[in-house]
Amino acid sequence: MSGITLAVPSKGRLEELTREWFAANGLVITRPGGARSYLGAIEGLPDVTVRFFPASEIARELIRGTIDFGVTGRDLIHETSETGPASVSIAKPLGFGNADVVVAVPDAWIDVTHMHDLADVASDFRSRHGRWLRIATKYITITRQHFARAGIAEYRTVESLGATEAAPASGVADIVVDITSTGSTLAANGLRVLEDGVMLHSEACLIVSRTAGWSSRRKARLDAVLARLGCAAGF
Amino acid sequence: MTGAALRRANLESLVEAQGACRATPPLLLSADPYFDLAGEEFGRRLLLTTDTTGAEYCLRPDFTLPIVASYIEDGVGEPAAFSYMGPIFRQRENGPAEFDQAGIELLAQPDGDVALDQVLTFARAALSIFGVAPDIRLGGVGLFEALLVQADMPDAWRPRIRNRFGHTEAMNRLLTRLEAAPDAPRDKQPSRKALVEDITEQMVASGLSLSESRSPEEIADRYLEQQALDAAQVPSATLKLLRDYLAISGPVLQALTRIEALAARHKLMLGVPIRTIRRHLNGLGEARVTFDAGFSPRLDYYTGIVFEMTGPNGEVLASGGQYDRLLERLGATAPIAASGCSVWVDRLEAEVAP
Repeated sequence: MSGITLAVPSKGRLEELTREWFAANGLVITRPGGARSYLGAIEGLPDVTVRFFPASEIARELIRGTIDFGVTGRDLIHETSETGPASVSIAKPLGFGNADVVVAVPDAWIDVTHMHDLADVASDFRSRHGRWLRIATKYITITRQHFARAGIAEYRTVESLGATEAAPASGVADIVVDITSTGSTLAANGLRVLEDGVMLHSEACLIVSRTAGWSSRRKARLDAVLARLGCAAGF
Repeated sequence: MTGAALRRANLESLVEAQGACRATPPLLLSADPYFDLAGEEFGRRLLLTTDTTGAEYCLRPDFTLPIVASYIEDGVGEPAAFSYMGPIFRQRENGPAEFDQAGIELLAQPDGDVALDQVLTFARAALSIFGVAPDIRLGGVGLFEALLVQADMPDAWRPRIRNRFGHTEAMNRLLTRLEAAPDAPRDKQPSRKALVEDITEQMVASGLSLSESRSPEEIADRYLEQQALDAAQVPSATLKLLRDYLAISGPVLQALTRIEALAARHKLMLGVPIRTIRRHLNGLGEARVTFDAGFSPRLDYYTGIVFEMTGPNGEVLASGGQYDRLLERLGATAPIAASGCSVWVDRLEAEVAP
């Protein structure tokens, strides 16, 4: 089989911007069944199948190699699996969907401005409060990696799939790791990003799976499509 | 019996011959104690599952914790010895895995030195069954703590430095920060009362509970302490001492001699912990032993001496040491001497050329 599969975010602003970006580069993505269809095509490229997926599933399937290339956020590649970044290749950052994964603490914690302050607070949190410092986040993998690098082990994560910024006020957690583009939602909730608290700069990227079983014919097809988009697979 | 089966049988006999209770903790354990003890960093290595109420369980990731926890439950005090051999389960980079581990736990022994010698002897005997003459790497948690207590610095810095022991990058960042500490005169600080009022106001405004998490008093105190710390610098001679000490790594006798020289230069009394390390060397005979001053597991319940034994291809085959603070962490009311080690059976089997 020499066909290749492109995954495109299935809804919202991300879908729109992705299709605009492809169109600006001369490739028109069609979605014959409209928003309720999950199958599409690129005009003039019959051997490219387009599938519409939620962005987090695109990350997962790129890492597993069940789709060949697609558009998703860098954050989701890092979060889905520790081996995620090694399993894919970023062909091109697309310049939209920019946001940072950050560590934020209550503004009232005037003594905590850097990660090393957090290390101090975490290290004796349990002896003071009888429990570990709690971090609300949906980015569990990224948090663990970043905190390990910072030498902080004394905390628990609390999985939070929505409205993470409200977790400190609702008493679910003490601090948060969240994604933000302007920081305004965090600020509105009385949270402040640590000065060295940016863990990851994310944006939407065109990403190629390294694990997708690349025969030379399929790879040649991919390279040809990427060349039209002004980028290369990088492997 | 083939070579491989014979080696297994020999290891089994060694485990049985420790004059210890053979411990067989359940395979399915509550996950919370692991998170509580070792935090998220170890937590990500667990194989987790959830019951219908949402409580988390894990496949047994080690033997030490369930052995020690059940010892505490049975009422501590009496010296006890446990040995084990069986599967443990951990996540690794390319998928979950089952490993065999063997080891011993010596608890509340009257003489911690003798207990550690038994642990070291056990580990070396296990390795020799597989024909491995290991490189032994020793670390001195007790030695570092003795140095830290005596080194000239404002008290508040000691726990901060201790907390980073064993994490080379974090320690390095802290020392670099301390070395670069500005000499600039400080602004006058607001009073504690004013600070507490300010912080309380901020917390109330953003809907934070004043008691569930960090309280305004705690934040104000740490803020003031932090300001005082920035002013109360660690003397540069002490920072140099810490740098010099942590860089010491090499053949054990040379390393200890260098530490003694360093201690003499800085007028530190490190004789007791150094002599303790020397005493254990007698039992290690001809083995290649190195001492690495910065080496420590990243778990604050380790005390005294810690070790790792590696084979020809550099993999850790056995590790352990003394952890007198572990029982307290798990609910005992006072520190209780504890030492032990675990041996990676799968890795040992891989050391034997087919």
